[in-house]
Amino acid sequence: MGRKYDAIVIGAGLGGLSAATMLARNGLSVLLLERHNVPGGYATSFVRGRYEFEVALHELSGIGPTERRGGLYRYLEYLGVTNKVDFLILPYLYRSVFPDIDITLPAGDQEFKDALCATFPEQADGINRFMKRIFDLGRDYSKFIRKGGRVNPIKMPFQHPHFFRYLPTTWGQILNRDISDPRLRGVLSQYWGYVGMPPSQISFLYFAMTLASYIRRGPAFPKGRSQALSNAFMDTFEELGGEAKFNCGVKKILTENDRASGVITEQEQEIHADWIISNADPVTTCHEMIGAKNTPSEFFRRLQSSEIAASTVNVYMGVAQPHKKLGLDEHEVFINSDYNFERHYQAMHTLEAPPAMAVTCYNVVYPDISPPGTSVVVLTSLAFGKPWYQVSPAAYVDTKNRLAEAMIQMAEKVAPDLRKYTEVIEVSTPVTNIRYAGTLGGSIYGFNQPPRDNMVWRLGTKGPVSGLYFVGAWVQPGGGFEPSIMSGQIAGSAVTRQIKKRREGILNGN
Amino acid sequence: MAISLQEAFYFVQDVWQYVNVNLERRSLRQPGRGTDYSSETQGGSTIVSGIHPKRMHMRVTGINQGTKSSKTFSFERLDGPIPPFRPGQYINLFLDVDGVMTSRPYSIASSPGAQTLELTVRDNPGGFVAPYILNELLIGDEIVTTGPEGHFYHEPLTDGRDLVFLAGGSGITPFMSMIRYFLTTDAPQPPPDITLIYGSRMADDIIYNDELTRLSADYPNFKYVSVISEPPPGFNGVAGLLDASLISRLVPNIEGKTFYICGPNAMYDLCLGALIKLGIPRYRIKRELYGPPEDITSLPGWPAEVRPENIFDIAIAGFKQIRAPAGEPLMNSLERYGIVVPAICRVGECSACRVRLLKGKVFMPPQTGIRESDRDFGYIHACVSYPLEDLQIRI
Repeated sequence: MGRKYDAIVIGAGLGGLSAATMLARNGLSVLLLERHNVPGGYATSFVRGRYEFEVALHELSGIGPTERRGGLYRYLEYLGVTNKVDFLILPYLYRSVFPDIDITLPAGDQEFKDALCATFPEQADGINRFMKRIFDLGRDYSKFIRKGGRVNPIKMPFQHPHFFRYLPTTWGQILNRDISDPRLRGVLSQYWGYVGMPPSQISFLYFAMTLASYIRRGPAFPKGRSQALSNAFMDTFEELGGEAKFNCGVKKILTENDRASGVITEQEQEIHADWIISNADPVTTCHEMIGAKNTPSEFFRRLQSSEIAASTVNVYMGVAQPHKKLGLDEHEVFINSDYNFERHYQAMHTLEAPPAMAVTCYNVVYPDISPPGTSVVVLTSLAFGKPWYQVSPAAYVDTKNRLAEAMIQMAEKVAPDLRKYTEVIEVSTPVTNIRYAGTLGGSIYGFNQPPRDNMVWRLGTKGPVSGLYFVGAWVQPGGGFEPSIMSGQIAGSAVTRQIKKRREGILNGN
Repeated sequence: MAISLQEAFYFVQDVWQYVNVNLERRSLRQPGRGTDYSSETQGGSTIVSGIHPKRMHMRVTGINQGTKSSKTFSFERLDGPIPPFRPGQYINLFLDVDGVMTSRPYSIASSPGAQTLELTVRDNPGGFVAPYILNELLIGDEIVTTGPEGHFYHEPLTDGRDLVFLAGGSGITPFMSMIRYFLTTDAPQPPPDITLIYGSRMADDIIYNDELTRLSADYPNFKYVSVISEPPPGFNGVAGLLDASLISRLVPNIEGKTFYICGPNAMYDLCLGALIKLGIPRYRIKRELYGPPEDITSLPGWPAEVRPENIFDIAIAGFKQIRAPAGEPLMNSLERYGIVVPAICRVGECSACRVRLLKGKVFMPPQTGIRESDRDFGYIHACVSYPLEDLQIRI
């Protein structure tokens, strides 16, 4: 048996890195255990030939330019992570391509509205009304976050009226009240891939917060890709005295008198701690690590009321041609075969060719992301893990290549020479996500995010046995880079608060 | 502030929805409703281990003295079926060589779907692992390997159907898998046109020569040219090196062709130079890395003042201190002291051996596929890191 730590963090995904750094920052002795040999979870990159590919990040929210820093930036600054990583702030959100519409939307409240009104002048009133709702909600939400997400439910309707009101609604429901043109609805709902569900099902809160953050502060991207952010976390954590072990998975979480008390690693090492923070998904944490016997059955009933969110199929391409010559002038292009996002969502439950996807080329805003004269292009479509379980191993490559082929053909609509100049290509699927990150269903957003699982009603960071916390996309505040990182802040401050309370108790002689 | 009738109606609607969502949250917790996660956990791990087993327990079922310097080994898998792989991929063999736990990657020579998995190993006099495999590994012996790995294969999405393989020495093995797959299995039709230019040193030591000759006679879409660099007196085959004049003579029309190179580093440099001279764009050339550089000190950027035999102290956080020569990959030195770093490719590509350099300087060849931010934060790939001074590392 080794030494005892204040806290053990299981998993060095963004939530785990954030919680570990937060706790180390508050003076706790922290051991961070990671099964893989590289920190970051999905916030990572890989190298093929002379190209390095960003695995997951499309646009980072919550950063903002110097004069308008967002919540995520301020948190990273508090930890000390911002000393070690720089961010690019992007001037526009995305280019949205439909068969009959092709529009690029700039960042900035007024610029965004103006661009929409220029293309859809007859919808100007609706646009103004709708944008006001989003920004009212954004202000309410900031207030809510400043209070640490803890509010008196009785007072909530009065203190945070907009936040309260939109809590149970879907994006589509509110959007359709103000906007009647289906084309504009499509353009405004384009980020649905960033939240994982189509307009009719996605929580209005999640979608509106995402959109508002990008419009307000501009999307951001870390120099050195998201691996630079993960490495900056690791470096900060170690400087603060944290210890990390890689290639070290956790098999069991030990409990003592209904309280988490330590872990057993895959190498059969037993390590003890007062607090356990799990960045593994709550289902795996409870079923496999804690064991059904030690978990209150009530908690499993809570879990069953949620569902697993989508995973991805990505085609990573290193292309020996500058982005301009390829015809890519925006870092993020959404290509849609039609406006029927509900059908697109249905297709995600099959192995059919995706009807919509994103073409991401960061060279546009980040020229040295690949060698001179080349570009990195990533095609991304959402797909659920489940249909992939039925694929026989021998048919796997053909299955993924069939999808990749369709995606390349779709991308050739905006970048005709894409395939011709491709030097390296790699196709990832939900199976890849499961393999490397160990996430249930290869989910990229944890649990799905309908109103009933929005940031308020979502599973909290507090686990079913005392001393145990969850972090990552699966719990509050939700899926995505910024929320996953913020979950570490929520869990980290909860633990810090309790330790303080305990210490005060001891001082007072209790 | 006036509230329109419409807004009031919406407000009522939203409050009603509040009730509904909460009823839904409650009802999904009832027995038999909601999500059953067990099938997800099961399904996910089954497909992952079916395609990408982390480890395979293999048993030697056959050994063939292929040529005078090489043997071909057949393996069966004991802990499951042989997983599908892309022809051209390799597996890394974990071996205990005279008490040193080490590993070496070998390209799979058999075709996917074959009953056994075939590897061919050529002797490397003075080497550490190859002589051990050739002399000590016997039928019935069991070894542990990684699952299939690597990115050197024909990619139908981009590579087309007109392929030129440039092989040198034991670099033939990945091509053997591709050739067997395309010609002799039910690989997707129509099959590609393949030209294999295979350089060997000696005319009487050409790995897979008989099978390749036979296949080229049987399949009109497969052209095989053996090139001998040290021809015996009176040799009437093709002699020389795989240079521009030879390649342009054997492949007169380069249009639309994809070139694949696998062989010793010197051969790769020669071939790459030749292909570039012939005007073949980089995106039509694929390369398999073939072990760490044979002579690291000959690479550009190696500091002249450091001799390969210079010995440095390596302090490993939490472990001990070891001594390592400049001319050997750090990973090999660590293994000699019983410190095993996770390894897959051992050519600097896969980053399994990513360790942190806390103090000191190492040399990594330009081929190293290291992440930009890893480089910035002082991470190194131990399998191709050569110490240039005393080091402190964290594994």
